[in-house]
Amino acid sequence: MHLDGHLGSPTYTWPCGSVSHLPPELNVNQFVSVGMVVVTAFSLGRCLPVAGEDSASTGELARGSAPTLQQVREAGAAKSSFRDRQRPTRLATEPKPELDQFKRDIAPALSESCLDCHGPDVQEGSFRVDALDPDLIHGDDVAWWLEVSRVLTNGEMPPVDAEPISDEKRAAIINWLASEIQTASAARRVNGNHSSFRRMTRYEYNYALQDLLGLPYDFAGDLPPETASEDGFTNCSEVLPISASQVVTYNRIARTAIRKATVRGDQPAPLHWFVSMDAAAERVRHLTEEDQRRRVQRLENQPEALAKELERQRQQAQKRPAGTHYLNRRSGEHVRSMWRYSGARYAWGPTDGPTRSLEESQHVAVLPAGQRLIVELGDSLPDRGLMRVIVRAAGPRSSDRTMANLRLGFGHQASNNSSAEETVSRDDVAIEGAVREYRWDVPLSEVTRNPMRGVTKLGETPNPSEYLKLHNTSAMPADLTIESVEVIAPAYQDWPPESHQRLLLDLQNPVNERSAARQILTQFMRRAWRGFASDRDVQRKVAMFETIRPHCNDFQEAVTEVLANVISSAPFLYLTRNDQDDLELASRLSMFLWCSIPDEELLDLATEQRLHKPDVLTRQVHRMLLDERSKRLPEHFTRGWLGLQLLDYLKVDKDAYPKFNAELQASMRVEPIEFFGEMVRTNASVIDFLHADYAMLNESLARHYGIGDVQGNHFRRVALPNNSIRGGLLTQSGLLAMNSDGKDSHPLKRGIWLLSNLLNDPPPPPPPAVPEIDLADPKIAQMTLKERMEDHRNDPACMSCHSKIDPWGIAMENFDAVGRWRDEIGDQPVDASSRLFNRTQLRGMDGLKRFLLNERQDQFVRAMVHKMATYALGRPLSFQDHAAIDAITAEVRKRGDGLADLIELIVVNDLFHAAAISPAGTSLEPPKP
Amino acid sequence: MIPSQPHLDRRHFLRGTGLALSLPWLETFAGDLAANAEAPRRLACFYMPDGVPMPLEHDPAHDDWSWFPLGEGRDFRFTKCMEPLESLREEVTVLSGLSHPAARSVHGHSNADQFLTGAPIGGGGTYQNTVSLDQVFASHVDEQTRLSSLVMSTDGGIGTPRGAQTMSFSSTGRAIPAEHQPKRIFDMLFVKQSDDAAKRLQLNRSALDELLEDARQLNRTLSQRDQTALQDYMQSVRDTEVSVQKAQRWLDIPLPSVDADHLQLDITPEDPDVYLRTMFDLIYLAFKTDSTRTATYQLGRENGVGVSDYLARAIGFNLTHQLSHQTKEPGGWRNFGMYCQFLNGHLARFAKRLKSTAEIGGQGNMLDNTVVLFGSASSGFHLSRNYPLILAGGRNMGFRHGRFLKFAASMDGQSFIWQKNGREPWQREMTHEEVPLSNLYLTMLQRLGVPAEEFGGSTQTLDEV
Repeated sequence: MHLDGHLGSPTYTWPCGSVSHLPPELNVNQFVSVGMVVVTAFSLGRCLPVAGEDSASTGELARGSAPTLQQVREAGAAKSSFRDRQRPTRLATEPKPELDQFKRDIAPALSESCLDCHGPDVQEGSFRVDALDPDLIHGDDVAWWLEVSRVLTNGEMPPVDAEPISDEKRAAIINWLASEIQTASAARRVNGNHSSFRRMTRYEYNYALQDLLGLPYDFAGDLPPETASEDGFTNCSEVLPISASQVVTYNRIARTAIRKATVRGDQPAPLHWFVSMDAAAERVRHLTEEDQRRRVQRLENQPEALAKELERQRQQAQKRPAGTHYLNRRSGEHVRSMWRYSGARYAWGPTDGPTRSLEESQHVAVLPAGQRLIVELGDSLPDRGLMRVIVRAAGPRSSDRTMANLRLGFGHQASNNSSAEETVSRDDVAIEGAVREYRWDVPLSEVTRNPMRGVTKLGETPNPSEYLKLHNTSAMPADLTIESVEVIAPAYQDWPPESHQRLLLDLQNPVNERSAARQILTQFMRRAWRGFASDRDVQRKVAMFETIRPHCNDFQEAVTEVLANVISSAPFLYLTRNDQDDLELASRLSMFLWCSIPDEELLDLATEQRLHKPDVLTRQVHRMLLDERSKRLPEHFTRGWLGLQLLDYLKVDKDAYPKFNAELQASMRVEPIEFFGEMVRTNASVIDFLHADYAMLNESLARHYGIGDVQGNHFRRVALPNNSIRGGLLTQSGLLAMNSDGKDSHPLKRGIWLLSNLLNDPPPPPPPAVPEIDLADPKIAQMTLKERMEDHRNDPACMSCHSKIDPWGIAMENFDAVGRWRDEIGDQPVDASSRLFNRTQLRGMDGLKRFLLNERQDQFVRAMVHKMATYALGRPLSFQDHAAIDAITAEVRKRGDGLADLIELIVVNDLFHAAAISPAGTSLEPPKP
Repeated sequence: MIPSQPHLDRRHFLRGTGLALSLPWLETFAGDLAANAEAPRRLACFYMPDGVPMPLEHDPAHDDWSWFPLGEGRDFRFTKCMEPLESLREEVTVLSGLSHPAARSVHGHSNADQFLTGAPIGGGGTYQNTVSLDQVFASHVDEQTRLSSLVMSTDGGIGTPRGAQTMSFSSTGRAIPAEHQPKRIFDMLFVKQSDDAAKRLQLNRSALDELLEDARQLNRTLSQRDQTALQDYMQSVRDTEVSVQKAQRWLDIPLPSVDADHLQLDITPEDPDVYLRTMFDLIYLAFKTDSTRTATYQLGRENGVGVSDYLARAIGFNLTHQLSHQTKEPGGWRNFGMYCQFLNGHLARFAKRLKSTAEIGGQGNMLDNTVVLFGSASSGFHLSRNYPLILAGGRNMGFRHGRFLKFAASMDGQSFIWQKNGREPWQREMTHEEVPLSNLYLTMLQRLGVPAEEFGGSTQTLDEV
């Protein structure tokens, strides 16, 4: 276990907020040492500390006779304060603050419970409750009131060592505040302070080009990286700057992209490679013998060494190779596979026509799990076009309950220490049973090529040759057998290819160039500018075509130059106009669900002004969520929401976790995304994020979790056993690992992450000068981690924050730095029990889940709506959005918390349709003192 | 700095003279310039592959043929490897104990790629590099010179991933092809090019006009606050337009004319001595005519692959790379050291030419305004630690010389007997701390006038130089 944060090397910063508004310091030391026991009482979804009873039966709902998590979940759901909320009606008249009730009930209640610490005499956290303006509509203290509402709702105030407030009074204050906040939030929707107007992000730009051109290439690689906003999203209008060099890059990318989508001249004749394993085995046998002969010759005059070498060769020939080998299926003989780059002796040459052998090959290549086969193709693969790879392969018999996994790599080695290679198959292919054909299409212009092609001759050093690598990535022992490998390149389905026709229609060398250019530009600009291109805009681009035509060699050069201009331009790059029409709605919708431009159907509906109709809109949301493109939503939303970039930088200590590998790390990154995707598909309740009885797993993760019978590296839904410790986000190994330090768990990071990302309740940043934990102090060095944290927390400078953060993280202590379950740390049993600010006891992950399911459903669902709306709008939310977020949350809860419903409810809400500008006023961030 | 002098209409002036100036045309302006322009700052970086001789202290070859000097600080003695630099002693600094952290455990032959970038390119698999030192400076100089940088290598092109034949990488980490034919380099600098550039510029101008007009149209539909956001975009387009205009202007300015009689432009590395001299001369001429202020020249590809492996023939050896493998054969250290001495001879000649040329505008000599970096990404055998580095020139930017600076407690890379299949030095754990080389690069950038706060992961500078 490792402690840092500001206690050593600050590796992350806490999101916004200031210390001063925190609840006054709890004397943690005191309540820990007294060991006072707490029971929770429930009212309006809040928990209140009550002293008494015995610890064995309190805190978390006890094990054994305790209700199941499902029962807790149902009970927690029943307590929602959102389910019976009325839909807010539009304000008909000038809204007024409800000040009478404030004077009569609220002010006295606040005075009674808060004034001692937040009044004229003492101002804990520089906060004075009696100085707040009770007029939320016109006053300046909205942010403070939100804070008051929050601490009362979460039971953080009054502190445990103060006089408790009665349930009735607490409820009265919260209800009055809820209503006033609602009214004030709606009333302030007038002038904006956060706008959604922004340029596309890198990834949106990339997808937009892909969808526009119909090419699944990575276009945006040269654009500068983007930083995330405080909410974690890069699509936020406030964090998307532009620079001159970016303008130049957009221009360059646009030209390259259009060039890649279009072709010139006649269809190039494809080259064919057909490598049967008979031929491969023969080649290897021949070259190996040659090498052996040479070695023997070299030792001619050294009889002793010669005898040794001959013996070695004899033994090698007899041993069945553990690595990749060729097996003669008739004779049972085997030849060890071999490949060396130098001299290109293993390269296969292409032929002009298909040379596929129809005879069944005697030999197969056998790749045990983890092994590779290299098929070298020489230096004649074309620069562009698709390389079609066809592999005839078989896996273990289906009855073996294992399967091989095939991954395709492409690379080259030019000299001893100069090589490069990349994976070109999107996903590994699971292979089991009899021989079948597997096929990949690899765009040759998009993969790392050997720069020596055309520079040196094949076989020279640096060698210009390139190879395919077949890799059996199965984690279980499972042989992959390969009969043949066939390559065709460039493989074009049509000529000119679809991407070309899509742009230039069938207008190759038009007689009337001007009218052809107009035709091409009209249809291209409609899609590229998402319906916003006017006739005049098109006219201007046609004029540009005419201006540059004399400088260009032919029609195509000039018109593609203009096409490139269209997608370098602001109307393509910038999103969210002020218009409140259907075209704008189509744009927002496709950016939200597809991270890209609208398709024809959306544009058609928008042009007909039908898209905004609720039934049409709902149908479109459903259609879009079924579309392949909607897979981008889980990927990019989840990344920002959960802060998955931390996983990119995760460096796991190899000594502490020798079994950890890149494969597992990659799977960890995918798990939350797949989980989210599955939940959208099934419209699962968002409460599944807190706990679920299923998981999305592949073989690698299932093994990591000790869950059996999951074969193959693709993700699929797996039902979890009843007593499983997994389920939901909190137990996903990637999320636990990224909030560790690579060597041990990191409760502080985990606690902060839970509060910030899941509950949208980020703790304040550490104060500027906090004392560090002095590990040189022998007394401290002897402590367990938990003791050390408690000791640190006792320092008054640290206590107020840590008492809010630590307990959440400590409850996750049964999970190590790579998210595996553990019962012991070193030889000490894990102590994963902790007490929250209100002394509620969390006993481990189970206790944590129970608490969240029981007490924090409303908070979680609202946080989810908040995050999703932030992502959907591409801007930070402000107080003026508060009412809308509450309203959406209420609807979501009433409809059963479905994730797809949540998405739909955001889309149909006024918030999503309103002018790009959000109303002005107070920010949602807590005030500075 | 000439192009940015607003009061000089050079185009008009040069047309008026109607001369092909035989002197560097800059000198014509010298009087005007001296008053309000700083002398140009320049950067030249050189790479030698395969490391340097580092015999053990008790080895008889140690005192003569160690690449690193004996002693420390001002109190040091050059070995025979460095003999040619003796007369430049007060103009150079030798550095040890610097290296790129990400390369320290990667085979040295893979690391020429990251010498100027510091990127964690690793030893295999997918490949991603980052911007090189020279290109950061080049984009700072921008359109002030005709060419933003001169990128050269003996082998030419870009080479292969982890087997670079160029030292320079763009802002996106893409390899910039290096020129290797003196004739082509000369033509690029001093002979009129085709009209392609003019056509490209014309297209760019039309495109930029259109972008601005599109933005103006969009602007009309926006609220006031969003218009402000779009202003940033429009300003960026205008900035781009300015640099297109500058590039355009260069097309109209006559190329400097230089006396090429002494250059053998058709030379190849088959005649290594003349070839190297010609390559160094071209950099000198490019600097002297202010055609560019940034030059990189990779003397050879790593691992003895390619034509650069013949350079050692200049002094009677066969293949350069073999010298680094045969150090334990009789005279091995000496042979390897002789080769280093030969390279240092060319470096010294280049530095002396700069030193003996007065800076236009009268501010000292050209060497004082040129930072010269010469080194390799390996010291001992295949070992990317303790890079052997020579820093020269740049006095006017604050560089102080005449010292041997050691930045690590001991010198990694000393002596190693190469055995086939044996464990090599680069596979050993490091036993001492070294300083990130990018600290030096950041210092260089700052002194060159680039307002950089970070380079290659370094945010610290190396003030000792």
